Formats: sequence, structure tokens, C-alpha cells
Amino acid sequence: MGTLDYLLQGFGTALVWYNILFAFVGVLIGTAVGVLPGIGPMSGVALLIPVTASITGGLPPEQAATSAIILLAGVYYGAMYGGSTTSILLNTPGESSSVVTTLDGYQMAKKGRAGSALSIAAIGSFVAGIFTLIALIVMAKPLSNVALKFGPAEYFSLMLLGLGAVSGLAGKSVTKALIMTVSGLLLGTIGIDNVSGIARFTFDVPWLYQGIEFLTIAVGLFAVGEVFKTILEKEEEDGEIARINNMLPSKEEFKESAAPIARGSILGFFVGILPGAGATLASFFSYLLEKKVSKNPSKFGTGAIAGVAGPESANNAASGGAMIPLLTLGIPGSGTTAILMGALMMYNVQPGPLLFEDHPQVAWGLIASMFIGNLMLLILNLPLVKVFAKIIETPKKYLIPMIIAISIFGVYAVQVSTYDLLLLLACGVLGYFLSKNDYPIAPLVLGLVLGPMIENNLRRALTISNGDYTVFLSRPISLIFLIITLLWLVVPFLMKRRGKEVIINVEG
Amino acid sequence: MISFKKFSTVVTAGALALSLAACSSGASKETSSPAAKKEEGTGYPTKAISVVAPSGAGGGWDLTARSFTKILSETKLVEQPLTVENKPGGGGAVFMAEYATQQAANNDMLFVNSPPIIINNLKKEGNSPYGYKNTTPLAQLTKDYGAIVVKADSKFKDLKSVLDEVKKDPTKLTFAGGSAPGSMDHLISILPAFKYGVDPTKIKYVSYDGGGEAITALLGGNADVIGTDASSVKEFLKAGKIRVLAITSAKRLGGDFKDVPTAKEQSVDAEFTIWRGVFGPEKMSKEAKTYWEKTIDKLVQTPEWKKEVETQGWELEYKNSADFQKFLGEQDKQVKELLTALGMQK
Repeated sequence: MGTLDYLLQGFGTALVWYNILFAFVGVLIGTAVGVLPGIGPMSGVALLIPVTASITGGLPPEQAATSAIILLAGVYYGAMYGGSTTSILLNTPGESSSVVTTLDGYQMAKKGRAGSALSIAAIGSFVAGIFTLIALIVMAKPLSNVALKFGPAEYFSLMLLGLGAVSGLAGKSVTKALIMTVSGLLLGTIGIDNVSGIARFTFDVPWLYQGIEFLTIAVGLFAVGEVFKTILEKEEEDGEIARINNMLPSKEEFKESAAPIARGSILGFFVGILPGAGATLASFFSYLLEKKVSKNPSKFGTGAIAGVAGPESANNAASGGAMIPLLTLGIPGSGTTAILMGALMMYNVQPGPLLFEDHPQVAWGLIASMFIGNLMLLILNLPLVKVFAKIIETPKKYLIPMIIAISIFGVYAVQVSTYDLLLLLACGVLGYFLSKNDYPIAPLVLGLVLGPMIENNLRRALTISNGDYTVFLSRPISLIFLIITLLWLVVPFLMKRRGKEVIINVEG
Repeated sequence: MISFKKFSTVVTAGALALSLAACSSGASKETSSPAAKKEEGTGYPTKAISVVAPSGAGGGWDLTARSFTKILSETKLVEQPLTVENKPGGGGAVFMAEYATQQAANNDMLFVNSPPIIINNLKKEGNSPYGYKNTTPLAQLTKDYGAIVVKADSKFKDLKSVLDEVKKDPTKLTFAGGSAPGSMDHLISILPAFKYGVDPTKIKYVSYDGGGEAITALLGGNADVIGTDASSVKEFLKAGKIRVLAITSAKRLGGDFKDVPTAKEQSVDAEFTIWRGVFGPEKMSKEAKTYWEKTIDKLVQTPEWKKEVETQGWELEYKNSADFQKFLGEQDKQVKELLTALGMQK
């Protein structure tokens, strides 16, 4: 059977009435999740896992897995659409990948061009979404054939690349980002070590045998941390809400955005494939790229539509690109895809090289549903931009208890442990102080996810090679990843040394 | 216009809150445990029964618990409502710690387990202080066996050639399995070699996160031999991607495995059953125990149960309470012997 047949079958699966409904609910919640500060796509998806598990409980396992992943993936890319809304209207990014959108988006809104900004963000996201899906269909197969060749050595080098990319990411201080990354790696060592079977840092407490739950940490640091921040820093209360004049961009604005959308889509897709890089980095890259190729870079920061169109396309394309390592390699490229992977495994569907062979219904059903979901999002976002912006108007006194309740229910439903609730609250307090002092949280969470993988694959590779370290250099794919990692870390240093003008140009 | 704006704000936020609240309460209802009170006298069961799967949703324990409760309700063998609870953590150790202490007399809470209940209790690292002796074993429901598997184009055609190679040079071959050393996959992988006289601590064993990853490593040439459960490699065997060298059963299996010899046939005395069974609390009342013995006895005779076991791809093997208890004693001895040889015993 050819790819087209599989895709048609996938549409057959995705067009079953309840799967359409699941996709719709997914993208709807996703948009809300993107709009609401405090709940990012990661906590949004995590919170919905137990809910989807009980809704799909009546279906046969394979169908249940398909429907559940359709809904959860809908939340994921739905959040990429919704994230821009608060960035543009309130100068408050709904999630980290929309941070860069605030730079020009908010300026546009201030000048009464909020409608154009919001619409171009939705249109850019749609184009990027469709582009990545086509790329996914064309490239997933070859990538999944290469995937089988991935042994522990390749995984190790690949994870190292992800880690290298993440520590260079976000935050004003590289030192702080590194501190957070290492903290994440350290937390990841708690539990029964999977390679040696030895219990580490568990103090004979059975609760710690399986390690610190990533979900608890993530929801605590992000969602609950944001709650504490809102309570303690009341001045945020009076964020001004911009008026929306026109709904659609003008012809000229369309012309200005076409190329940035195309570039953002391609760039975002490839950055998204890299584990650890993800949507945030993709949006930053796209912004810097647009600024670099623009004829008048001085316009950036004052309301250039390219500064909205590029990054918003890129972050959506990255979320699609991140599905490739997830579906074909079983590697989560970001926190959210890590949670999606956990959801699939709950249904006994192992994402990995054999997913397309073992569970074509799940894989192709998901891909087909993403076409439908992206279309729904475009239809949903254009006319309903006004309504969704209303969620921001919800008084904080109602919003905060809601976020706390959702966080606690979500963590308890998955972990069924009161210790995890205490850990959740502790992480919330910690999250507040960390972000107050400009310690980026994302590197910690990704360190927690990537740490055990790096460590286990390193030791597996060394066990197989009987302790010979050259295995990482003698295997070509592994060597390529190591070289990229090295370049990733070294090039910025060299650039800085060669001439500061380059950096100043980009920054200014 | 302003009032409309406000109205839609409330509606949007309200609808979101409602839908999330409704979902959350649905999820929490499922996990709320019924009051734990010891019920003496006639008429057991008088309350809802919960069957615990000491893992997250979707795994083998969870599926067994769900099939068990589903058929009991469908066939009306149990009139009281039955619910499945997931209590993940520590490979079952977290739940055991609570069950053996706080729920030791709770007749309304049963649970599902398999060899890890014995292994966790005996191994040194990640030890669970409570084992099967802190429960009332009610019945074994299903069985599966270990399988020693190589890639289809491997040079090894039988178990002996692999074992001879390991005996000669243990650094040459890489064994892999889906769980940490000292756990079930590891024991299955090294059992034949151990019985063949190879020092099990010398064997190169690489553990992966789950059986699926281990099979991937085998197919990708990153592992030479894997030890796993027979049912999970069935699809790969059918697809002609792997060769199963031996099954750790007493007799040959049927169906897809009919051409696969047992380890015993190849004169390697390696037998290991991966059973799944139902347990009650240690201080279960006599009345409750008799009730479940009778009910499960009836359950396993029903065509509905047989059909369910078949659709799930399991093999039916029923042992009643007394036989199961005896069998667990034998298992305990075997696992202890293996872990001692590995230096991993408590």
C-alpha cells in the first residue's frame, strides 16, 4: 500500500464523527490553553490525559489511542495558534514560544492594527501547519527507515545536541540557564536506575522508586508558579486591553507577510525536528532571520508585520516538526511531545520506528486529523478572535482558583499521591522565585526529561562496546550529531570574537 | 455592547470552567476509594468492590484488572458495582506499602499482580518490604512465558549455539530486555545461561525502557539476543523479522509458536511462567475469601471470560486459591535462587 492509500485510510479514521468531535474539542481547548497565561500546551495536554482516558475508555484499545491522541495533539497545535493572542493584545505571552511575538505584535495592537496582527498570526500558523503535514508525510517514511539504525550511541549524541541547544536557549544569563539545566539533570537521577537496577537518592521511600514525576514538576513550576506571581505582583492587574479596529490584513500587509510565512514554515519545521530545540527557539530564529533579510530592519520592534508572521508560522511548524522524532523515533523533542508520548504509551502504543507499521491507524489517523484540525483552527480563529480575547478579561480572582484547581486535579489524577501534591506546591513557590530572579524554567524541565535518556544511552552504548568510547566517533550518524553539537556551542563564541558589530546589528 | 461583552466573557470562562470541572470530577470519581470497613456476617459483598492495578492505565496489570471486572459485571456474577483503580509507583511497591498496612482487612479491595510481587520483595535495590505473604492469593488467571529471541538473519539457529558462544566469551554477545537488572526481563534473559552453567554476572545485559524498545534494538542490530514475554513478540514472529530460539514453558505452545522448541527440549532446564493473578488483603475474612474462590471458579468457566482472554491475546490458566498459594511458594524459591546467583538478593 502506498502513502496515499494510508493517508486516505487516515482520513477515513479522522472523519469518523467522534474523531471530528475530538479534534474540535482538542483545538478549542488548545486555543484556550494558548490564550490563558499559566497553562501552556504542556500542562494543558498533561491535564487532559486522564480526562481523555476516561472518555475513550469504551472504545477498543487501538481506536481509543487514536481518538485520545487526536484530541491531545489538537490541544498542542491549537495552543500554538492561541498563544499569539495575549502576546499581541496584552503584551503577555500565553506561552514561551510566543514571547517573540510580543515585540512587534503588541506594537501593532497599540497602533490599532491588532486585527491584522491576530489574523496574520492565524493565517501564518495555518500555512505552516499544512506545510509541515506535507513534509511529515513525505519525510516521515525515510526518516523512520533511518530510525532503526539509531542505536544507543546515536541517541546519546542526538540527546547531547538537544541539551546543547536547550542550554543556549532563553534567559538573559547563560550561566543561569546552565544552572537550571544541571539542576534538571540532577533531579533526573532520582529513582531506580534503569541500567544498573540500583536505587539512587530514594532513601528507601517507595514513592521515589520511579523517580520524580516530570508532570508534577512542570505543572508546579509553570502553572502554579505563574499563579503565585500573579498574586504577589498585583500591578499586573491593570493591563490595558487594546481595541481591535480592523479584522483582516490589507493587501499590502499580505504581500509583506508571504515570504516571512514561507521562511518561518521551513525554518520552524527543521528546528522542530531537533529534540530540545522546539517552538520557542524556532520563533526566535525566525524573528532574527526576518530582521536580517529585511530591507529596513529598523522597522522591527515598532510594529512590523513580518515580525509577527514569521515567528508565529515558525512556532506552529516546529510543533509539527516535533511530531517526526516522536512518531518515527519515539523521542520527545519537547516537554509537550514527551507528554504526548506518555499518553500513547498508556494505550500500549509505543511511538518509535515501528509505529507506522504496527499502528498505521493511529499514525495516519493523527496526521489526517491534523489537516482537519488546522482547518478548524483557521475557521475558529479568524471570526472568534474577539471572543477568545475575552478570556483575558476574566477577573484574576476567578482565574487563579481555576488554575490551582486544574493543576491539583491534574496531578492527582495521574499520580494518585498526596506527596506529589506537596511537591507540586513546593515547585510552585520555587517557580515564582526562579522566574522572579530570571532563572529560565524550560532548561530545568528539559534537563529532567533528557537527563535519564542521555545517561542511559551513554551507558548502554558503552556496555555494548565493552567500554570503548570511540564508538561515538566511529558511527557516522553519531559523529555528525557530535559535530553539530560542537558547532552549536563554539560558533557563537567565534562570532563574538570575530567582530561585535555582527551581534550588535542583530540585537539593535 | 458592553453588557454583551461582559456576558460573553462570563460564558466563555464559565463554559471552560464547567467542562474542565466536569472532566475532573469524572476522573476523580473513578479513583476515589470506597470506605474501608471490615464487614463481618452474612451477605458479602455489600459494597462496591475496587480492583487495583498497581500501575498506570494501559499496562498488563491494568488490562487484566479491567477485563476481570468487566466480565464479572457482564455475567452478573457480582451484583455490586466493580471499579478499577490505578495506583502507580515503584513498580507496584508504593501500592503494596499502603495495602499491606492500611488496607490489610479491607475485604472490598482486591488487586492484580504478577511475578514482580515476588521479585520486588526479594531483590536488594528498590526493595518492597511487602510481598505475596502479606496478601491472600485468590487465583491465577492467565499465563505467559519468557522467550529468547534473535533477529531473523542471526547466525544463531538454536539456544545451545548462543549459550556456547556466551560461555566462550561473554563480552561478544549483547543481551537486552525491557526492564532494569533484577527485574523480570533480566531474569528471563539470563535464566537459560545460568542453568547452562554460565556465570550470570558476566553476561552483558542492556536494559531498555520497555519491551518495544528492546525489540527495536534487536531489529536495528544493537542487541544480539533479547529476553521478553512470548506474547509480545508474536507479531514480529509472524512478520518474519525475528527467530524465537526457546520458550521457557514446560510444553510446546500452540498457534504461532508451534514450531518453537522449549528450553527443556534443548536440554536447558529453564522454566519460567509469567502469571497474572488476583489477590485479596492479608486479613481477608473467611466469608469474603470463600465468596471470591467460588465466584472466580465460576468466572473462568464462562464463555465470556474465555473469549475476553483470547481477544486480549493471553493464555488461560486457572489455579484456585490453594494451588496458587503453593505455586507462589515455588516461584519464591526460584527467584531467590536466581537473584542470589546474581548477587542481587536482599
